[in-house]
Amino acid sequence: MRFLQRLNLEQHLHNGGDGGPESGDALQQLRSEGDSLLAAGDEAIRRALANSNSEEFLRTSRQQGGE
Amino acid sequence: MSTHLTNSSAGLLPRLCGADIELGNFIVGDERASGTGYEASRALLAEIAGLPHHQTGYLNNWWNASNVSAYSGYNSKPGNGTSTSALTCDLQDVSRRFLLSNGGCAYIDLDHVELCIPEVIDAFDHVAAWHGMLQITRDSLKRANQSRPLDSRIQVLVNNSDGQGNSYGSHLNFMISRRAFDNIFLRKSHYLQFLASFQISNILLTGQGKVGSENGRPFTPYQISQRADFFEILQGPQTTYKRPIVNARDESLCGRGYADEPSAPARLHVIFYDSALAHGSALFRVGPMQLILTLLELGLVNSRLILDDPLAALQIFSRDPTLQACAELIGGDQLTLLELQTAYLEEVKRHANRGLFNEIVPRAEEIIALWEDALNSFAKQDFRLLARRGIDWVLKLMAIERAMDQDSSLDWSSPEIKVIDHLYSSLDNDGLYWAYESSGFTEQLVTPERIAYFVANPPPDTRAWTRAMLLRSATSGSVVSVDWDMITFKLRGRYSWPTYRTFNMANPLAYTRAEAQHIFDNSLDFAELLDALESESFDRTITADALSAH
Repeated sequence: MRFLQRLNLEQHLHNGGDGGPESGDALQQLRSEGDSLLAAGDEAIRRALANSNSEEFLRTSRQQGGE
Repeated sequence: MSTHLTNSSAGLLPRLCGADIELGNFIVGDERASGTGYEASRALLAEIAGLPHHQTGYLNNWWNASNVSAYSGYNSKPGNGTSTSALTCDLQDVSRRFLLSNGGCAYIDLDHVELCIPEVIDAFDHVAAWHGMLQITRDSLKRANQSRPLDSRIQVLVNNSDGQGNSYGSHLNFMISRRAFDNIFLRKSHYLQFLASFQISNILLTGQGKVGSENGRPFTPYQISQRADFFEILQGPQTTYKRPIVNARDESLCGRGYADEPSAPARLHVIFYDSALAHGSALFRVGPMQLILTLLELGLVNSRLILDDPLAALQIFSRDPTLQACAELIGGDQLTLLELQTAYLEEVKRHANRGLFNEIVPRAEEIIALWEDALNSFAKQDFRLLARRGIDWVLKLMAIERAMDQDSSLDWSSPEIKVIDHLYSSLDNDGLYWAYESSGFTEQLVTPERIAYFVANPPPDTRAWTRAMLLRSATSGSVVSVDWDMITFKLRGRYSWPTYRTFNMANPLAYTRAEAQHIFDNSLDFAELLDALESESFDRTITADALSAH
């Protein structure tokens, strides 16, 4: 299940498939620029997962106490 | 000198804000039954400089609490809740040190490093000061890890639960009038419910997002709030068990001796929110709350916005990132999370049009505009834009779903997905939020220059300025104890005998740069500086006679 993809599909259908609500050129540019910039996050995730043992990471992340 | 704080009609008191925020800290790869928080927190805090030097443990804290007050001239009333300084420090807090740079502080609370932001008035300054503290901590983490082997690195997370049933806090503190505090907790139950319902609806903008569930709650793949699983009652003074949505801890941090003073300001200790990384969520933890608290101060409480069952509504809303779920209001209406948050915004806008927030909430119009813009984006389901504009739970969800798209073996139960959840808030180089920020994906509400200012400087418009300047002016060995509202120094007296001198700063809105700079500039020595500061009436009476204008 993908929450955001589902929501974006609903938005697409709701708006007649025109790609989203009209919010001006600046906002549209902000969205389209985001595609290339998101790649930085993708790369950071790949790097982090490649350099760590996820199960070990979770076992050692236990935090007791606080507040 | 007047030390009397009056706010009998405190609607015009600026909504001063502070924060005490715990970090997750552990050593990656070091498996111990009790965890590694003890060692990790101490190694990290050792790299954060501050004063006093000598408070290193429970015993030292106890010694200071027992002995310094004997010299301080205070009519100390331990446990009266007026100030942490009634005990000099909380005995569960270890090695508290105040920063000479910005007047905030850091310490260890039950094996978590806890960061306290200096008092600010402007919500945008809160965001900058918070990111300033994060920058200080990132630099400290780097130094701490330099001397450690690669397989024993300290990991620091700006989150609020470990995914294993343990939660730690990200508390905000707002100055409100004693009258408002009593109305919320002692006199008017609908005030409490109005505040609780607002906080719950505010997770839409402030949640950091979390994979899975804890504390015996049923499984869910992803939820908006990290903390929602841990709230079990509506209100109460406790923070570590049966957590309340609205915390009733009564501890003003505005000077001892005012405990029985009905006009002394109170502190609302807000334990509800998640920690924020993105600027949007960080701002929406504070700005809208400043506005809502102003409504509460003035008795402008719209009971139609109250949730029928706030605790159930929190579970329903947090577990529905599609934002379709509804919860019932006491009038019978069924509202979604977005609809309820929008109703609170409309309530604020209605009063803003009358100029209600002028001089109480700095940059109120900007806060409202950003708030409205974010809610409009939710209404349009424009999640890409919301991620860019700094809503943490949306940005984290986007990162996770992209990772799933790129590796079909991953699903919501994969340990890798929970690791991504954690690493979103990592302060190390593997921190995902920082990757998005440095790439330019997330928009910044405060400039890097403003953040850098708070790395090195205190807020100029609160007592934090004088606190930092006094710590810089004193010889380091002379600082015996520091708290938000007082500093005790050990000075050389007649015949070289030590004398103890406590400087009080009860009024958090005073001791500003504008008020005190000339004294620091013109004093010849430290004793003269204290004399000159004490001769001013900084703890002046706060009046708000103009309240009637509203």
